[in-house]
Amino acid sequence: MVAGTLLAAAIIAAGLVWYLTAHSGELPGDHLFRGEPKYFENPVQMLRRTFEPGVAGERRSLVMIGIFLLLLNPLVRVFLAGVGYLMEGDRLYAVISAIVFAVLLGSFFW
Amino acid sequence: MTGPFFDLAVAFASFFAGLLGALIGLGGGIIITPLLVLCFGIDIRYAMGAALCSVIATSSGAAAAYLRDGISNMRIGMFLCIATTIGAVCGALLAVVMNPSALAIIFGVALLATVLLSLKKKSEAPVEPEHSDPIAKSLRLPGEMPAAGKPVAYGVANVVPGFLVMWVAGVLSGLLGIGSGAFKVLAMDQIMRLPFKVTTATSNFMIGVTAAASVGIYLKKGYLDPALVAPVALGVLAGAFAGARLLPVAPVKLLRTIFLVAVSIIAVQMIARGLGISIG
Repeated sequence: MVAGTLLAAAIIAAGLVWYLTAHSGELPGDHLFRGEPKYFENPVQMLRRTFEPGVAGERRSLVMIGIFLLLLNPLVRVFLAGVGYLMEGDRLYAVISAIVFAVLLGSFFW
Repeated sequence: MTGPFFDLAVAFASFFAGLLGALIGLGGGIIITPLLVLCFGIDIRYAMGAALCSVIATSSGAAAAYLRDGISNMRIGMFLCIATTIGAVCGALLAVVMNPSALAIIFGVALLATVLLSLKKKSEAPVEPEHSDPIAKSLRLPGEMPAAGKPVAYGVANVVPGFLVMWVAGVLSGLLGIGSGAFKVLAMDQIMRLPFKVTTATSNFMIGVTAAASVGIYLKKGYLDPALVAPVALGVLAGAFAGARLLPVAPVKLLRTIFLVAVSIIAVQMIARGLGISIG
């Protein structure tokens, strides 16, 4: 878990540096709210955009992947706990974990 | 301020927030959002998105350490996560339709409530295992915690009220982009009357899971600006790690007093900002 968090943090840091090399002089952290591009919702598209050459604006995608990894951590943890309960034969808590996991998944794929 | 300097300033402020959060026992999330809004002029919705990500980062790091120690009670945590995750989804759905000024006001009020909660530190005496709530027994919630010598068994009281307060904690987490650790501790410590160590360790696990339930909705609504999330999450994470190291040697009592006053002032400013009054 700590390793996962650190990996995610490292990717975010790398992405941030990469982003800044192309965007120094701009105003990041927009002061006016305008939402974010739709493709941020789709990890596969994000990954593709990250490595598309030439489009400096898409460098934010690498940061987004790191953030995504970070957010995956609790999801994975609940999933593993559920599997653990199932293997112990603890059906009550396997079901409880499954409910929590379903709520989490539901919130991501609304 | 533009470019790298802006990011550096944000990262530094976040580091400070994470450090303080760890030292005085408040989450980094509830400190960083007002800082971003009041000092950096960032839209409260972006600030909340960034804070929520930093909450998940610190919870993941800290919860891992607690799980290893075996203090946190996974059954209680998982059971109560049903309440907090559903609450968080409700809160996030509410946040995305709410006026930012109203959010600022609610944030300020929640901040004040957090300060009051942390002042009232007197824990109820833990219940004996045999006096547990019958529901707790059928859910096998009571557990043991490691202690010097042999493990100490503890009971669990008032499951239904605790569950409901957890739902409210979840709503606040989703609505304001905070971990709402203070409210989770309230439910477990004061209502369910768990030992304090078990409470804090278990709430740490729950904070990350709860935050993860609203972050998907924030993402879809465009609350996560990578250029802001990155310095904030990294800064708070680093600050929290440093804070945990400093904890044994820092003058915690003095820091708490100073910063609870500071946080109260910030809370009032958030409310004033929401009401459209500018002070200070």
